[in-house]
Amino acid sequence: MFEFFFKYPRSVYAQGHFALLGAWPAWLLVLFIVAAAAGLAWLIRSRIGEAAPILHGWRSWVIWGLQSLLAAIVLVLLWQPAMTVSQLKPQQNIIAVLVDDSRSMGITEDGATREAQAVKALQDGVLDGLKKSFQTRIYRVDDHAARVDSNNSANTADDLKTLQPTAASTRLGDSLKQFSQETADLPIGAVVLLSDGGENTGGMGADVISAFRARHIPVHTIGFGHEHAEHDVELDDVTVAPRAIAGSRIAAKITFHHRGYAGAKLNLTVRDISTDHTNKDQGKLLAGRTVTLGTDGHQQTETLLFDIGNAGAKTLQIAAAQLPGEQNTSNNILTRVVNVGADARHILYIEGEPRWEYKFIRQAEEDDRMVQIVSMVRTSENKVYRQGIGDAKELADGFPSRAEDLFAYQGLMIGSVEAGYFTPNQQELIRQFVDRRGGGLLLLGGQFALADGGWNASKLTDLLPATLPTQGETFHREADPRNGTTHTTAELAPAGVDNIITRLVDDPAANAAKWKSLPYLMDYQDPGTPKPGATVLANSITPEGHKLPLLITESFGRGRTGIMATGGSWRWQMSSPLGDTAHDLFWQQLLRWVVSDTPGHVTASVPAQMLLDNGTTTITADVRDPQYNPAPDAKVEAHILGPSGVSALVELTPVPDNPGQFQATWNAPTVGSYLTEVTAQRADAKAGKPQELGRDVLTFQRMNGVAENFHTEQNRELLEHLAEQTGGKYWTSPELSKLAAAIPYSEAGVTVRETRELWNLPLVFLILVLLRFSEWWLRRKWGIV
Amino acid sequence: MKLLHTISAFVVFLSLSAGLSALQFGGRNSYYYGKPVPSEFYWTRLQYKSGYANGNSFGFRSFRGGWSRDYPKADNDCLIALRRLTHINSPSPLNVADMDSDHLFDYPWIYAVSVNNWTFTPEEAKRMHDYLLKGGFLMVDDFHGTDDWEHFMAGMRMVLPNSPVEDLRDDDEIYHVLYDINEKFQIPSEVFVNTGRTYEKDGYVPKWRAIRNEHGRIMVAICANMHLGDAWEWADSPEYPEKFSGLAFRIVLNYITYAMTH
Repeated sequence: MFEFFFKYPRSVYAQGHFALLGAWPAWLLVLFIVAAAAGLAWLIRSRIGEAAPILHGWRSWVIWGLQSLLAAIVLVLLWQPAMTVSQLKPQQNIIAVLVDDSRSMGITEDGATREAQAVKALQDGVLDGLKKSFQTRIYRVDDHAARVDSNNSANTADDLKTLQPTAASTRLGDSLKQFSQETADLPIGAVVLLSDGGENTGGMGADVISAFRARHIPVHTIGFGHEHAEHDVELDDVTVAPRAIAGSRIAAKITFHHRGYAGAKLNLTVRDISTDHTNKDQGKLLAGRTVTLGTDGHQQTETLLFDIGNAGAKTLQIAAAQLPGEQNTSNNILTRVVNVGADARHILYIEGEPRWEYKFIRQAEEDDRMVQIVSMVRTSENKVYRQGIGDAKELADGFPSRAEDLFAYQGLMIGSVEAGYFTPNQQELIRQFVDRRGGGLLLLGGQFALADGGWNASKLTDLLPATLPTQGETFHREADPRNGTTHTTAELAPAGVDNIITRLVDDPAANAAKWKSLPYLMDYQDPGTPKPGATVLANSITPEGHKLPLLITESFGRGRTGIMATGGSWRWQMSSPLGDTAHDLFWQQLLRWVVSDTPGHVTASVPAQMLLDNGTTTITADVRDPQYNPAPDAKVEAHILGPSGVSALVELTPVPDNPGQFQATWNAPTVGSYLTEVTAQRADAKAGKPQELGRDVLTFQRMNGVAENFHTEQNRELLEHLAEQTGGKYWTSPELSKLAAAIPYSEAGVTVRETRELWNLPLVFLILVLLRFSEWWLRRKWGIV
Repeated sequence: MKLLHTISAFVVFLSLSAGLSALQFGGRNSYYYGKPVPSEFYWTRLQYKSGYANGNSFGFRSFRGGWSRDYPKADNDCLIALRRLTHINSPSPLNVADMDSDHLFDYPWIYAVSVNNWTFTPEEAKRMHDYLLKGGFLMVDDFHGTDDWEHFMAGMRMVLPNSPVEDLRDDDEIYHVLYDINEKFQIPSEVFVNTGRTYEKDGYVPKWRAIRNEHGRIMVAICANMHLGDAWEWADSPEYPEKFSGLAFRIVLNYITYAMTH
């Protein structure tokens, strides 16, 4: 239809440039058009009174418009309009046909695999059409591009038979870039890409598109595969902390979507499939939950909590159970690795007075051997009682005044203690403990705490996750335990429903209900207004019905701060039935949050712990000296142990403009788990030998062929984007008969510039006739014919 | 006339019944010394049933029953010392917790005397059992000799059937949490003033004992063959030796501090 009106293919207009071939300048055309319009206006105005009085008003303007438009078109035609377009020279250019042969092309749809459909499309005329005017070359593309035919190949059908959808991964971007580089000397006129758009790296880089744009090579894409699966559940992502403390309760945040199962029940599981389990296929079940699937195609996120167990490198398998009729079950499983540390974490807890909260927090931590509380409590005006100390010297001089003493702890908890109890130096140390050392700070409510303890006027106000009230008397005790009208209760804030700190029960709704059923608090404190960026996890409901933040958390510098605005949560232990774990579980989770992310002197990381198909990774280490200042002069090495005896010692080099940061790129050669120990040391002039600053262990895993199981629906968006950005077109199977006709109009390869005149377009004559007919019809309607 | 006698006898019977009832269950207000003041620590005495009633404990749960011996002066004197000598917030007046009530769980520290008289129903024993295992602390005082110990243990075995009782060593943390108490001796009741004896019945040797939970925390601190309550109560008596009161105060302040830190 397009060519019926416009005479030439759409590509001519898309690729070509408009031009006026007439000898006279274009400004003269404009002048003539204006003059013609003005002349017509004058003529109509001068003759309207006697010839056609009925045309007075808007009708005369309509007639003028139609006549002026007619005159303008005729004048434009006199200037000889045309399209100049580059056209490939016949038989002198190569059309590269790239066929995706990755495993996802082997998915059977509508009775044939995607690959078979692509081959059939080529054999049903596309290749023959191209060969009439061009040389063709056929390439397979998966994680690289490789030619499948040869220059002297006589039988294309045999060449196409070699295409089998077995490649373990698709990296279209890398393949296209490689193709562009390898064909830099060839007259490539256009590229035809047959693919489902599966791209395991997540997207097409701008450098790929730039490479084709620079050579003006249009990439025509032909999409295969359904854009939406009929019945499928796919795990999109799983977020698990890459490191944890032994015995920790951690969360797996599972994001998934489905097609065709709205309202169905889906069982999600987390298993430990580490090698230390005898049944490796099944692994040890850590958590499981049945969820109801939501709207078709929408992403859904569920959080499963589980105990990570003993120290060591753990491989977790997160799975969605297969549903009846599911087409692709390979995308129901994801794997993550977690490095579980064996070192106990220490929290320094300073308390200004003996009180029950202190006792019951310590009691809650009795069963947690990985988090140890070292505490000091003012028992009388001049006495401090220490508990959990390692030796008699620890805290013997009171709260630490030196960085190396305070920074030995991973967490700091301040109870009912006035801000003035700490010297300015100690207050600055507390700030640096969070900001520089990366420790966790938790402030509790109490008669000497928060605003009532003068913390609202201290130098540490910016450190706190809330702006404390300016006035005192914010701490209120239970007026009378025997009086049921004076109680303060707790409830979860929306952010706390599925938070790892406040999760007492796995099911979010049951968790919220559990919090509401907790015994009342023995006291509460107004912590003021949470700061922007802070998160309120729980609220307290005062006897007057006011809602106040109870638990607030916030990240600060390299560490984190929190306020638990009560000293009376101990009633959750004493007034709940014996065996109820709510109190202990809450405090264990809260204190683990305080210390779990506190870094050591060396913190090693990789961008992704799962290396899918590509083993190249960058190991980064953040190295600090004993005072936790960056140590740019350190010597940092990574000792990597992998499968099949892989062992490597890699030196990390400093990252410019990032003091204390070191990096090295390394390639994991084979599939399997890699354990990496990063050590940092530096010269010690006094000792005369290198001094070790610290070490860290991280794990990562290389897997091949896994990514190909995911995102198996046709990625039309990517194919359209690629075509659009390079001047090509996205084609569907029914349109392929026109592909060969669109290919010649390209600026790539060996071209000639041709001119296509437009004066004889059928559309032009149609418009001229319509204009005259419209005027006649209007005049007849108005009765002046 | 006969009817008048009958009515009079009935009225007398009703009056006696009401009086007995009041002695047993009534008069609770008389235990309280003012409205509770919001506090961190409430000095709390345990009210229980007396199953081995003697001359000092007429009735079953009455005021002046075994549980209330030396109340309130002993407790009050102790509370004053607590306020004066520690950082523990305790402005509230004296408090009594009934074994029959779940309000027991509001007060993680309780003091019980004459525990050779106590008896528990199964429900009460379960309540005390849960109280101790959840984190509560019980200090028992003022019982003497072999028979008293057996009666005390009869109740204790209902509460904690399998928990052993141990003698506390001088280096136990409970004797060093606030004061370093390296020397302990028998603390007698006010009987000492007239007799010069530090013991009663056959309780010649002081027993500083305890029952611990599975983590080693002391749940029940036992002062057997002694009467610390009298030592607090008679601390201002010229005839009662200061050394007994001094030790008694230090002991109880250590016990309370221990209870609030362990």
